[in-house]
Amino acid sequence: MQTVPQRLVAFLPNLRRFAISLCHSRELADDLVQAACERAIVAADSFAPDTRFDAWMFRILRNLWIDHLRRARTAGPQDELEKAENVSVPSGEAAAHARMELQEVTAALQKLPDEQREVLVLVCVEELSYRDAADVLSIPIGTVMSRLARARKNLAELTGISLGEKRSSGTKGGVA
Amino acid sequence: MNIEYFDDETLMAFADGELDEATSLRVEAALDHDEALAARLAVFLDTRLAVASAVKPLIDEPVPEALADSVRRVVQEAEAAKVATGEKNVLAFPGRETRQQVERRQWLLPIAASILAVITGVGGFVAGRSGLQPGNSLDTALFAALDAQPSGSEVALTDTQTLHIVATFTDGRGELCREYDLRRAQENTTTVACRANGAWVTRLALTSPRTEGYVPASSQDMVDAYLTTIEAGEPLAADAEKSALAKAE
Repeated sequence: MQTVPQRLVAFLPNLRRFAISLCHSRELADDLVQAACERAIVAADSFAPDTRFDAWMFRILRNLWIDHLRRARTAGPQDELEKAENVSVPSGEAAAHARMELQEVTAALQKLPDEQREVLVLVCVEELSYRDAADVLSIPIGTVMSRLARARKNLAELTGISLGEKRSSGTKGGVA
Repeated sequence: MNIEYFDDETLMAFADGELDEATSLRVEAALDHDEALAARLAVFLDTRLAVASAVKPLIDEPVPEALADSVRRVVQEAEAAKVATGEKNVLAFPGRETRQQVERRQWLLPIAASILAVITGVGGFVAGRSGLQPGNSLDTALFAALDAQPSGSEVALTDTQTLHIVATFTDGRGELCREYDLRRAQENTTTVACRANGAWVTRLALTSPRTEGYVPASSQDMVDAYLTTIEAGEPLAADAEKSALAKAE
């Protein structure tokens, strides 16, 4: 059985992906990941080995992010929005191949309220169950479901994914 | 014909494979003849796929080396500390940190990590001298002074060593700790020792050459960083110090 510190290094890419999708900035994301790892090592005893390590780590990182947001809010307007990048488009060579659609989805994701985006990422990207997502976010499972449903309908609207109409390929209209 | 209505959450749970079997069967049956239902379901299937394809590839992005290195270092040192002390956690930050501490910790991380190495490094030294050892007159005199003398006082322990007690405080675990300098002709050792099981146990000891009687700044930085990691409280005022020392004895 691996210890928490041992698992951390292997989990870095996942953690970083989650951090980037939360905060839109690689720079901030890396700080968050580092702080989360440090926190995890300190709190290693509180990890129950029979539970999901990823959910536990996401929860730590997400709490740090919330703290950060709260601080930023009380500290007055910050330049975080300016720093925001179009992060989900893979950088470097891969960017050339990134499809327009993905950019559209990425842009739409960033327009969603934070609370909708985070639940969307936890379930659809990190593949957490509703129950695990509820634990990470410290909200009831019913709230996870209503938020997630709303997030997906919003996203569909923003990206032109067929909404309540008959699906037919190739007819992705604009925002209705 | 009766058309059963399923709400968004139920359809979404079906799309995500989270719906119980009985309800799933009913949804499947309804899908056969309800096109509107199929279209609503498609929204949840499509959005899941879209988000996954847009965000998942981020995992292939190489983790910046600086980040990976610094996490590896923290991990290694946590492991090393565990082995060295036999404790689960040397860097314990129990309780809630103040906002200031959290902020400080962000830039202190690299320093704190290197300090762990120092602490681990002096492990043998600590083990050798922790606790009162009859027959070691220096330790006896030192511990007696730590038990009784107020901060700010100077005590000549031997002909060549002077003890200067800097401050008294409690750490995050509530242990009583003191910071003191042992001054010798050529060098100065700054130590943080905490009272555990009736003895003063050295937690950090940094020896540096004496330069005009001052501890070099880098050394002081390390002490400060260490104090932050153990959640050292404010130095106790004279009265509080006196009663804390009396209690600890």
